[in-house]
Amino acid sequence: MTDHAFNAGLGAAAAERQEAARNRDAAERGDAPLLPSERLWGFWEFTYANSALAIATWAFLIGGAIGLFVGPKEGIAAIVIGNIVGVVLTALATTPLSGRYGIEQFVALRSQFGYNGSRVVYVLAVVVLTMGWLAVLAMMFGRSIDGLAALSAGEAANPTGIKMVIAAVGAILVTWFIVAKGPTSIKFFNMVVSPALVILMIVMLYLILQNRSFAELLAMPALAPPFEDDTLNFIIAVEVNLAAGFSWWPYIGNLARLTKNERTAFWPNILGIFGAAALGEIVGLLAAVALGESDPTIWMTKIAGPMIGIIALLFVAFANMTSMANILYTSIVGLRQVGTASVRAISWGAILFLFCLIPLGLVIFYPQMYDGFFIFLVWTSALNSALAGIGIADYFFLRGQKLDMRSLHGPQENGPYHFCAGFNPIGLAALAVGFVVYVMIFNPQTLASIPAFKYLTASVPSCLAAGGVHYVLTRLFARGRGWGLYP
Amino acid sequence: METDIAWQKELERRARIYEDIEAGGRFEGVMTTLDYAGMTLLTLALVVGFWIWGA
Repeated sequence: MTDHAFNAGLGAAAAERQEAARNRDAAERGDAPLLPSERLWGFWEFTYANSALAIATWAFLIGGAIGLFVGPKEGIAAIVIGNIVGVVLTALATTPLSGRYGIEQFVALRSQFGYNGSRVVYVLAVVVLTMGWLAVLAMMFGRSIDGLAALSAGEAANPTGIKMVIAAVGAILVTWFIVAKGPTSIKFFNMVVSPALVILMIVMLYLILQNRSFAELLAMPALAPPFEDDTLNFIIAVEVNLAAGFSWWPYIGNLARLTKNERTAFWPNILGIFGAAALGEIVGLLAAVALGESDPTIWMTKIAGPMIGIIALLFVAFANMTSMANILYTSIVGLRQVGTASVRAISWGAILFLFCLIPLGLVIFYPQMYDGFFIFLVWTSALNSALAGIGIADYFFLRGQKLDMRSLHGPQENGPYHFCAGFNPIGLAALAVGFVVYVMIFNPQTLASIPAFKYLTASVPSCLAAGGVHYVLTRLFARGRGWGLYP
Repeated sequence: METDIAWQKELERRARIYEDIEAGGRFEGVMTTLDYAGMTLLTLALVVGFWIWGA
């Protein structure tokens, strides 16, 4: 009898442990807020994690693009100015709330846009951004393979040829296969690729400085400045870097929720995201200007002969695949989180493949996107800068840094974040205003701008306008209608 | 259905923990005025410094 009771007790304890583990897994996926005791990362762990995210081959691409507009001295200034402002505003909008409540970023977004509005924002900000980057990184992979083949055969590379397209399509399909297998392999690649990329950057910097002194490099001109006005070229370079800084908006909130508190959620972004991205971009900029070529897959073949070129290109191809797997995995996890029941019903492998169809189409039918990738990057800032402004206005100035966990995670249909059929028209209107302000000041497609752009940039006014509109309209209309649980 | 109820209870438990922390002012590592001032100064110093140096 005693043995029976003892065994029953053990069984109950095991069941309780299992349930606790299930609940924790669900909280990690974002279904519930992570409790302070469940969060793992301190200051240095988070710094390493977001450095690993920021140190990717796209930093070389952005640095190379900056070299088109301005010389290295102005370029370094633009990289620092644009990234620090972009990263600080993005981190303010997303990380203090995640660090305080352990809440999933797009669940928290229900308080700003409504539970259906947050889905719209997810599609606009995450899906579009990820699909674009998947295509660009796949083309970079394809160009690396094409360059590799050309270097081995002693021929000239053909960066938009059929070899590039086949390799890029292959990269997307292999990425789909890796991610369909699960996250374990991705984690392993991350542990190897990030430190190796730092080593690659240091080697590249060393090789560049072997041929020219730092002072000589700083004095070099831009590769292809689009305007005669140097100040305008400089501000466009700052704007591209603001866009790079704001482009972390979809990702860092969900990383920060794994940190122990607000401070550890915020400050590592300055060291990790800002520091690592700026370092990578500066290496890309110096190499591009020194070697007269903005495309990393071409300047790498020129930097130190065929042998090092082959190793560097092989590594870049490998690193690109890792970045592609990272962003694809993160986006699909989030998509299932915000998706409707019918989206959740699609199998993991099938939803991944469906997501890859547009990047595949871009690679095959629009390979020119690679050379103008910064145009795509700047377009995303029209949205991300407005989202950052709304996030700051809502959390700090309208809610006094308080969120209601019960309402955010409970049934939404009749909850306070129902707003108007699940959409907060105020938040969405503010987002539209921020977007329009951006495009009126600076058109990313044509690079045309109004005179104020030279003094204000486009991202900063867009961020301020969206935040201001959200604040004023919420104060005027939301409380009276009982929308959004505003104090 | 049973799982749903259990999950709602779990959500309730987690929400209550945060409400207790909030009510008792026991959030750890809260960003203070010093953090926000430091962040503003750092950003301004980098923007102004690199603007003067590079532009």
